Formats: sequence, C-alpha cells, structure tokens
Amino acid sequence: MAIEDLAFLIPILPALAFVLTFFLGKKLPSGGAMIPIAAITGSFLISIVITINMLANPEHVISQSYHWFSILNLGILIDPLAAVMLSMVSFVSLLIHIFALGYMSHDKAQSRYFAETALFTAAMLGVVLSDNILQFFICWELVGLSSYLLIGFWFEKPSAASAAKKAFLTTRIGDVMFLAGIILLFTDIFKLVNGTIPDGVYLLRFDEIFSFIPELSAMTATILGYEISHLTIITLLFFGGAVGKSGQFPLHVWLPDAMEGPTTVSALIHAATMVTAGVYLVARTFPMFLAAPQSLIIVAYVGAFTALFAATMGLVMNDLKRVLAFSTISQLGYMTLGLGMGAVIGAEAVGISIFHLINHAFFKALLFLCAGSVIHAVGTHDMRQLGGVAKVMPITAATMFAAALALAGLGIPGTRIGASGFLSKDPIIEAAYLFGEHGGSWFPYVFAIVAALLTSLYIFRLLFMTFTGEPRSDYGGHESPASMTVPLGILGVFALIFGALTTKVFNGFLSTTFLNDFVHMDFHELAGLGGYELAHTAGHHEPLLILWMPIIVALIGLLIAFVVYYLKLIDMSDIVSRNNPVYKLLYNRYYQHQIFTELFSIKFIYEGIALAGFYLEKSLDWIVSGISGFIIEAGEVLKKAQTGVIQQYATAIITGVGLLLILVELVTEVF
Amino acid sequence: MIPLNCYLGLSAIIFAIGLYGLISQSNGIRILMRVELMLNSANINFVAFSSYNDDLTGQVFVLFSIALAAAEAVIGFAILISIYRMHDSIDLSKLNLLRW
Repeated sequence: MAIEDLAFLIPILPALAFVLTFFLGKKLPSGGAMIPIAAITGSFLISIVITINMLANPEHVISQSYHWFSILNLGILIDPLAAVMLSMVSFVSLLIHIFALGYMSHDKAQSRYFAETALFTAAMLGVVLSDNILQFFICWELVGLSSYLLIGFWFEKPSAASAAKKAFLTTRIGDVMFLAGIILLFTDIFKLVNGTIPDGVYLLRFDEIFSFIPELSAMTATILGYEISHLTIITLLFFGGAVGKSGQFPLHVWLPDAMEGPTTVSALIHAATMVTAGVYLVARTFPMFLAAPQSLIIVAYVGAFTALFAATMGLVMNDLKRVLAFSTISQLGYMTLGLGMGAVIGAEAVGISIFHLINHAFFKALLFLCAGSVIHAVGTHDMRQLGGVAKVMPITAATMFAAALALAGLGIPGTRIGASGFLSKDPIIEAAYLFGEHGGSWFPYVFAIVAALLTSLYIFRLLFMTFTGEPRSDYGGHESPASMTVPLGILGVFALIFGALTTKVFNGFLSTTFLNDFVHMDFHELAGLGGYELAHTAGHHEPLLILWMPIIVALIGLLIAFVVYYLKLIDMSDIVSRNNPVYKLLYNRYYQHQIFTELFSIKFIYEGIALAGFYLEKSLDWIVSGISGFIIEAGEVLKKAQTGVIQQYATAIITGVGLLLILVELVTEVF
Repeated sequence: MIPLNCYLGLSAIIFAIGLYGLISQSNGIRILMRVELMLNSANINFVAFSSYNDDLTGQVFVLFSIALAAAEAVIGFAILISIYRMHDSIDLSKLNLLRW
C-alpha cells in the first residue's frame, strides 16, 4: 500500500483523538493525553514520509478528490508547500503536546485541554491539505473555533473569557472578507463557464481557480471612479482573511490578549497553527496575487508596517508572554512582507516566506515553551520580578538563548552558517532591498531593517531581564520535568541548525509548488497579466553593506540590551517613565485599546446599536401593541352579538340562510 | 288527484309556523314542539315527492326521520326536565349563562 493512500489519515487521526479524549479522557491517566499524542505522532510520521518521498520527486504531487455535491468536491492536495507545512505543524504540535503533559499536570480539566488541542491540530492540518477553497474555509473556521475554546480555556477568569471573545470576533472580520472573496470568486467563475461544466471538474479546486486567472483579471469593476479588476478585489478579500488570522495591522489586536490561555496554547497558536494559516492562505493562492500587483503591494506594505509597529511595542512590555506575542506579530509581518515581495521576485517569495514561517515555528514554539517552563516553575510572568532564573533553570535558559539567537537572526552573511532565523529573515530583507532597487518604494526595506534592530533589542532585553542578574523577588524555582525539557532541547536544536541544514534545498523544493503535474503556472505570464515584469534575480549582487546590514543591526540591538540590562551601565529610569511621551505611547500600545475598544467598539458600534435598538424596540412595541389593541377593541364590539338568547341565534341563522339563498339565486341568474 | 303544489304549500305553511314559533317563543317545550313541526313539514315534502315520482326511497327516509324525531324528543325533554330541576323554570330566554 502506497503511503499516499494514508494521506487522508493526517487530519483524521487527531480529529478522532479529539472525540475519544473528549468523551473518555477523564477516566484515563493524565487526562487521556496519550491519545492525541499517539494520533499526532501518526500524522507526523505519515507527513514526514510523504515529504521525504516528495523531495526525491517534487513534480509528483498527491491529489485526491472525492465528489461532494453538485460541482464541489472534498479532497486532499499535498504539494511541496503543503508537505513542509504538514510536517512542521504535526511536529511542533507533537512537541507541544508532550510538553503539555508536564505543564498541564496540575490542571483539573486536562482531558478538555488535550481534546481541544487535538481538534486544533486536526483543523490546522485540514487547512493545509485542502485542495479546494471551500474546504479550506471550513477548516479555517474550525481553527477559529478551537482557538476560541483554547484561549478561553480558563473561562472562569473574566479576562480569559473576554480575550477569547475578542479573538473570535476580531478574526471574524477577516473571515467574513474571506468568505465574501470566495463567493465573488465562485460567481465569477460560474459566469465564465456559462453554466456548462464538464464531468469531473470541480469549480473551487485550486487548479480550476488558477486556470481562470486571465479571465478574472480581465473582468473589471469601477469602484470610486477607479477601474479595478475582479482578481484584485478577490485577492484583497482573501488577504483580509489572512490579516485577521495572521494578526496583521489593524486586526492584530486579538493576539496579545490571546495570552490568557495556557502558555502551551499560546505556543500552539503562535507557532504551529492559527497565525500561520493566514500566511499559508496567501501562499496557497499566490498565482492569483501574482497577477494582481496592486494587492501584492498592499500585502508588502501591511507586512512591513506590522513588522515595525509590533516590534516597537514589544520593546516596552514587562510581561514575558506579551513580549513574545508582539514578537510573533512582528515576525508574521516579515512573512507577509516576504510574500508581498513576489512583485519583484515572483514565486520565489513563497519559498522565502514559508521558510521563515517554518523556522519561526520552531523558535517561537521554543520561546513560548521556555516562557511556559519559567512560569510553571516560578509562578509569575512579570519580568520585573524575575532575574537570575538561569541559575535554577539552566536547560530552560540555554534553550531560550538558542531561540533568541534564532529570532534575532545572528549568523555570518554570505555563508550558510547561522541560526535558522538568520537564514530565513535575511532573504526577506534582501528581497525588500531588491523591491526598492526595482522602482518600488524603499519603505519596506527601511521598516524591515529597523524592525530587525528592535527585534534583537527586545528579545535580549527579555533574556537579560529574566535569566541574568539577581532575583528581584522571592520565588522558589526548580528545573522542569523531563517531559518539558526534552521538547525544549529538540526544539532548541532545530532553532539553531534547521535553517542551515535546509536552506539550500528549501527554495528549490518549494518552487515546484506551482510547477508540477497538478498546476503549472508561468510566472512571467502571470506578471504580464498584472502589467509588470519580474526582476531577473539570478546572479544579483547586493552591495556588501546591504548583505551585512541585518546582522549589523542585530548586533547593535544585542549590544544595547547587553549594556543596559546586563551591565546596567545606563540608567534607564529617566527614559522608562510615565513622563516620557514616547514610552507612554508605546507602553499603552499606541492607545489601541482606547481607540479600538473604547472609542470604536463601545462608543460607535455598541452605543449605535443600542440607540438603534431603542428605536427599533419602540417601533416594534408600537406595532405589536397596535395590533393587539385593535383586536381587543374589535372583540369588545363584536362580543355583543353573543346575547345568550337562543331565539336570537335562531333568527340570525334563518336570516343568514335566507340571505344566502337570495344571493345564490342572484348569482345563478347573472351567469 | 291533488296536485303536488298543494302538498308543497302545506309543507311550507307548516314550516313557517314552526319557524315563527321557534323565534317567538321562550318556553322550552313549545320550542321543542315547533322543531317537531318543522321536521314534519320536511317529512311531508319527502312523502309527496316519493309518491309523485313512484320512488319508495323518500318514504324510507321519512321512517328514519320519524325515528330520529322520537329520539330527539326524548333527549330534548330529558334536558328540559333537568333544567327544570335546576331552575324551577323552563323559560329558555333566562338561560343565558353563555353570553358576553
């Protein structure tokens, strides 16, 4: 039996584990955690074998479709893009599950936790191997649901309940846009085929969608006097969905609040599932974006802005997990920026962006699990109360340091030596440079470089504040159990060397995503549809300074953090105070809470709805009481007919019959 | 032979008398008697048509109708007796509990 025949098991196994753990978990040891762990191990093994097979023969993709109803299908598509995502998601998710064995061991609702994370993983795996956009959307919504359940895992806490609600509602805005995009896409394609669909053709399958790109880009609509192609509108709506799920500005507000769940959930959301879904959506439909350059430019700008914007806020947070949350938003900004760079480098953008996604998954999962390990041992996540943790938790400190190196992107330019973050972030920054050089604006490059500086600064600030120096409060710490440190060690190794090992094969492997026996796209032709040309990237040479720039700013960031937070040579109390307007602005996170929640949500939406509701209620009241009042009044009049005197009833009957007879007589005479 | 119209006329007159009584009277027994009258006017019609059409079906109907009238009278009088026991009167115009 070929391994391809087992591909459908990849999402099914965790889904089954969800059902089993949910109903039987309470009776099993440690909340039935072994069921999801076994199931995800199975998914991981299948995925990794498929990936290894595919490495040898990337043109041969696995595509299986089953008729669902009418012109829609259910199916799986595993091309290089999906294969690496599947392996990463199942691997990271597996490690997080093992880590959670120790981390959640004191929790009463363990079985619910493991059931929900299994569902989360199943949904994400479902997203990754969907071969049509509708199935993609269904799994996408499942991801949203499970994130809601997990963020609100400790739902007795009001803050957790409201964070879950916030995450759900904020991503909902994106989801609605995504759905609108799908509907528009479907109606357009349906119009194009003129209602005649050959047998075995499923309209929303990716290969069908891609084959309609030229027609879609020729259809135009006029909005506000601008002529915009339908393809641009659809891709922008899709990107709207990605903005919601991947926490890009301005829909990023839910991500920092999502810290209310258990730390392992944060690791799962930030690394393996959920936030990567948005980037994956853009990567999956990348040929459409390539033929819609306006959308790509917007993708690039949103990504670059988010990368910088979130990094500035990460700089001043005092909560261990919040720093990491803003770091995730910032790194997702890099991935989005990388995709947007498709405007210059074509489909290579998918390769560098997904490479960063995979590397980020390793080191961000590691960062969160380390933070979880610290929180588990120490019981606080306020960095101002920590310090010197490295003495009690050496393994955690060492792995966290590895993750920080990867996040800051330290390595030697021009070679393949460096932490994984270096090998994936640099190509994105270089692509941004190319973008500027080829007539685009320089904003993405500048933003990306400044964000790189800040990234290094905030992560080493976190590291020095937490792990070095003297303890700033009384905490009794201990190193975490083996079920927690082993995943940390594995992830630490991956964070350091995965990039170096795979950087050579990765881009080549992913470049076959749209060049295989399932879809075969000509990127220069697609760019031509959008009215621009791809740069010839082969053998390009940036100035040496540009090549070294990211590493220089990263080292500067490290140096500043070292001087300020380790050596404490500079007294920061003047700068870090409420009197400093810049600090205040950052500390209050650009007043997003005030603007989004208090001003926008409460003032405009909530009070607007309340006001509308007031008048609606009033008018409804008027209608309802009007009807009932009329009926009561009519009854008052008509009840007088019920005299209770039999003779009068008899008279009425006879009169009625008489009148009826006369009527019948008249009618028969007329006709 | 008496023409059919005479029977029909007789029947109509009896029916009208019954109807008038039904509306104008308030004594329960009288009302029952009026109902009997109206029923019998219909019987006359049946028999007359039956005889003129040489068809016995009408007469069979009348037999049924008479039996029915007897049963109806039994029930009617039984009700009236129980009304009398409750109200010491059989004046139906005073029995107006089912009114507004």
